[in-house]
Amino acid sequence: MMDQREREIESAELSIWFFCGVLMLAYGVVLVMTGITEFNHPPPNEVLLPWLESLHPTLWWGVLLTIFGGFYTVRFRPGRV
Amino acid sequence: MQFLAALLLTNQQLTRLAPVDVLILVLYFALVVFIGFYAKGKANTSEDFFLAGREMTAWIAGLSFVSANLGSLELMGWAGAAYQYGILATHWYWIGAIPAMLFLGIVMMPFYYISKTHSVPGYLHLRFGEAARGLSAISFAFMTILMSGVNMFAMAVVMQTVLGWNITFSIWVGAGTVALYVMLGGLRSAIINEVLQFVLIWAGAAMIPILGLIEAGGWTNLKAQIAANVGRSDYTHLWSTVGHFSDNPMGVHWTGIVFGLGFVISFGYWTTDFLVVQRVLSAHNLRAAKMAPVIGAAFKMAVPLIVILPGLLALAVLKNPDGSIMHLVPESAAAAGQHTYNQVLPLMLIRYCGPGLLGLGITALIAGFMSGMAGNVSAFSTVWTYDIYGAFINKRASDKHYVAMGRWSTVIGMLVSIGTAYLVMNAASIMDYVQALFSFFIAPLFGTVILGMLWKRATHWGGFLGLLAGTMSSIGMFVWVYRTPAALRYIAMSADAKPMAENLYRALWSWIICVAVTVVVSLMTKPVPTEQLSGLVYGVTPIPHDGSTTIWQKPIFWATVVIVVFFILNLIFW
Repeated sequence: MMDQREREIESAELSIWFFCGVLMLAYGVVLVMTGITEFNHPPPNEVLLPWLESLHPTLWWGVLLTIFGGFYTVRFRPGRV
Repeated sequence: MQFLAALLLTNQQLTRLAPVDVLILVLYFALVVFIGFYAKGKANTSEDFFLAGREMTAWIAGLSFVSANLGSLELMGWAGAAYQYGILATHWYWIGAIPAMLFLGIVMMPFYYISKTHSVPGYLHLRFGEAARGLSAISFAFMTILMSGVNMFAMAVVMQTVLGWNITFSIWVGAGTVALYVMLGGLRSAIINEVLQFVLIWAGAAMIPILGLIEAGGWTNLKAQIAANVGRSDYTHLWSTVGHFSDNPMGVHWTGIVFGLGFVISFGYWTTDFLVVQRVLSAHNLRAAKMAPVIGAAFKMAVPLIVILPGLLALAVLKNPDGSIMHLVPESAAAAGQHTYNQVLPLMLIRYCGPGLLGLGITALIAGFMSGMAGNVSAFSTVWTYDIYGAFINKRASDKHYVAMGRWSTVIGMLVSIGTAYLVMNAASIMDYVQALFSFFIAPLFGTVILGMLWKRATHWGGFLGLLAGTMSSIGMFVWVYRTPAALRYIAMSADAKPMAENLYRALWSWIICVAVTVVVSLMTKPVPTEQLSGLVYGVTPIPHDGSTTIWQKPIFWATVVIVVFFILNLIFW
């Protein structure tokens, strides 16, 4: 659905998608690191809900955001046409 | 809204942020300010500043279009409404949005776009003359600046309730940041932040429905648990319970939903409110301008997942510390220690999200509030500069002067909004009036614009007097019901109607009055010469081809896909 003109606009200087990618990548990395530390120190809400603790939502959501953010950061990095 | 006053009174801090949550929040603010400075270099002409250079792609304009309406006040309010009224609240996202968004893209956008207007009041000027433009511009500018103040105060109260932050701190930090990035980068800056906010809201809120459905054991089990907890089964049906006012928790009838909400309110808001239409006007060509609302509609259909579903899940899974079901209460009945309907989204966020995820959710809420302020203040700045200052005060200034006026009006608009926020803090009932005031203008405006676009016989006097009569009748009905609540039975045509029905039927009547007056006055006055209507009215305007070559590029194809999915979803949740 994206034509050449749209690609040129979106790759011009800093794309909006690049901003989205960078922010999600940064959040993903922060969440992955937080999720890893929570293996030994589960947060209070997960202590109250034991089924939640075994799902490690912070870690997996962080992984997803890292992949999503990483893809958009690379795909729309400055200077790439 | 009364709920903010109730939040102030309860004054309970729900949670506190861990250092990792603060880091997430700081990263967001840093990026937002950077975007403001980055966009400043691209906002040199008035076209750049007020319409982002008209170079946005369909995806960006479409996401910005839907995001401008996805403020946090709305997210929290409709999640609370879903807890209170059940799945009926979804109507405000589906029939109350999708058909109108598609109509804007396919039918109305060509006229807005090829007339090269800068604003909706600007279109009224071209079609109906200065009087209609003046009435529309002044009412819109007044309302947007008040709404920005309401958003600001709402953010401050939510932050105080959820995190214990000082209200003045929240107001000034939020307002200062928004003023900075809109003043620097204009609409481009606002649009970039709106797209960012859209992504952020999904990243921050999607965990609630995912984890909630896991806890509830799927949709079928959730329905059974809600029926058991509430004691009635009509909380999970969209249409089967609206045959009579008394058969559903909301006290509405299908005619109000279909004609009042689905036609007048929805079409009025999505096709004539300049706050949202401005985003689409920034598109880089006609095809992008037509596609943007279609893309927005597709995403809008998914929003109930992160707004309505959390409200429904709360009915099943939200529990007190002793394990009993937690019952949220109306704002008017909230006592110390009790939580209200409108706290349902933060409560669900706190239930499922530990440090990190909680920061992401809170950042998404703050981004939503700031985006709401930015949307209002950027639309205000455009309408003030083009349709009030440039039209009535200083008609012949240079382009550079208008850009400077746009920046100054952004700052002054923000200061007035801050004043409004403090005014609301001292008299919370003002917010009810602000919300109602906004609805006074939208329904009649839709009547005026749609007749202007589709009926070449509509005249300048017809348009102006129709708009005036519709607005005055809406105010009259509001005052009538406010002073005599029993009058609701006449406006909604049923003794069983509840307050929610009033908005729907008031909008419907005011639209009918606007259209009737416009038609009668137009037929009694001299027609506008056809050559003056070219580019403005259906039938006398050759619509240029939008440039699509394959079926995959055609906006009408994707609009058909969206409307089919819309019908399927309504049937599934019938």
